[in-house]
Amino acid sequence: MLTRSVTVGLLGLLLTACGSTRDTRVNPDAADSVTGTGLQSMDIRTMATRMAADIKEYGILAPSRDGARASFFIYEMVNDSSDTIDKTLVLTKLRTDLFKAFRGQVKILDRSANANDLVDAERRMKERGQVSGENNRKLAGSDFVLKGSMKSRDRLAGKLKSSYILVTFELTDLVTSELVWTNDYEMKTESEKSVINR
Amino acid sequence: MLAAIPAAGCAISQPEVPVSSYLAGHYAAVQEFAEREVVEGAVENLALVMNVKGQCELALGDVDAARIAFQGAAQIMGTWATTGSEATAAIVGSESSKTYKGDSYEKAMNAFYLSYCYLQKGEPDNARAALKRGILMDAEVADEKYQADNALLFWMAGRMSKLYGGSGADGYFEEARVANTFAIAHESRGVANNPLLANPTKGNLVLLFPIGLGPEKYADGAQEQLARFRSQGHPAAAAQVSINGKLLGRSTILSDVDYQARTLGGTAMEGIRQGKAVFKTSTNIAGKVLLVNGLNKRSGNRNTDNAQVIAGGALLLLSALTATAADVRYWPTLPSTVQVFAADVPPGEHELLVEFVDGRGNGLPRLQHNLQVSVSASGETWLLVPSLPPFALQQ
Repeated sequence: MLTRSVTVGLLGLLLTACGSTRDTRVNPDAADSVTGTGLQSMDIRTMATRMAADIKEYGILAPSRDGARASFFIYEMVNDSSDTIDKTLVLTKLRTDLFKAFRGQVKILDRSANANDLVDAERRMKERGQVSGENNRKLAGSDFVLKGSMKSRDRLAGKLKSSYILVTFELTDLVTSELVWTNDYEMKTESEKSVINR
Repeated sequence: MLAAIPAAGCAISQPEVPVSSYLAGHYAAVQEFAEREVVEGAVENLALVMNVKGQCELALGDVDAARIAFQGAAQIMGTWATTGSEATAAIVGSESSKTYKGDSYEKAMNAFYLSYCYLQKGEPDNARAALKRGILMDAEVADEKYQADNALLFWMAGRMSKLYGGSGADGYFEEARVANTFAIAHESRGVANNPLLANPTKGNLVLLFPIGLGPEKYADGAQEQLARFRSQGHPAAAAQVSINGKLLGRSTILSDVDYQARTLGGTAMEGIRQGKAVFKTSTNIAGKVLLVNGLNKRSGNRNTDNAQVIAGGALLLLSALTATAADVRYWPTLPSTVQVFAADVPPGEHELLVEFVDGRGNGLPRLQHNLQVSVSASGETWLLVPSLPPFALQQ
């Protein structure tokens, strides 16, 4: 009886220690349970929402009195930090939030290499009469360009580490080169190394 | 005591990576093994097998897949957080029950491969980010003297900065020179006045050569409580580069992986394991003494004899359950050195011949690579050629 109880108990302990996994949907605005430094989904979402709201509130991209819409394209994001990032993920989210914020009041141009290739190919096919439609409009020029950068300051001392990340966006007038809007998003993490990894 | 049992039950061993197949050029087979391990193997070894997978994918020419693998491994290796239960299990039970995060030299090598993948993707800024992370991780070694002594990472960070117009390139180059001088002075392989570091921006064709086989980690000491490294034999010692039939020169060492592993310094866990070893020995001796006394009825008192038998048995059980062995999981397919050759080459197509040579300068035909490289009029061409058979590269 005692042997059986001990065996069952040990098996229970082994199963408890070795088992148990999960696969759960979580709120992308919630703090990441997969820890580590660097931008998390909540940062990317918050950043995009804030930037889109701020750039709209600032008014630089508002339509003129005669209703003409301003145009801009998102150029690039330079990563000067110590965290690799998927730059297209950040910029695509920002572009979507800008689009939603302005609801058609501003022209957002797609100047990606892929889009340029598609436009060129379509225009050529129209010229040759291979497809319907005419090239009766010019390619849209841009009034502004939106750029981003990500920088970090990392400090390491013994078992402690801190990482400060600064993501900055700026809108530049493509006629005058004037910096017409800028804003940033900051985050900081601190980590303590476990004794088992020291 | 019972708490120690489940911990010990989950001890994780080194995955049986078919290193000989990797060295023989059977990259698809090793990649298949690594992929299987990613899905079916111990989750605690995920970073280790993902690194091996990344190397195989690089050898097979799938740089995007390699980047994803190295990135996944980097995420695990770079995370400091550890759950309390994992820490308890590693301290009370077997150390190898913890998640493999690699030693600082392995983290640095992960950063090296990841940066190369980002560069091939056309993102030198992300490549530099990976290198900066690698430099930080290299600074995690316990012995402060050996912190930040990886010239390769600094030099590459400088080159990446130049490539995308980032700041600090000259600072990185200076750090690379300091790191190299320090490492050479402390018995690292290489040359003190490395010409590449004297003229760090030289060359629009840059060749990276992971050469040889990296160090093996093994357990030493009576209770296997000490983690040690030993170098492994491999014929290749350097790479010789010819372009369009003209010999241009030989590679130079920018990172001695064996040296980086040797100079990790002691860890906190080493002290804990030493303590566990003393505990294991003491409980073993005390248990035996009590058990023998009790069984031989030396006290003359039946109750005392029985108590000694029970206490002795318990101590022996405790001794047997105390896992003192060091965690000796390591990245087994790393090179022994990373060497570099840079040359100024006219734009256009070129026939590149890479011959790996042994310590005496004799060529190793099995490892010879004939490659076609395209050098653009602007920018730089970087290529990673490991001292492995070129079979997969030509497929």
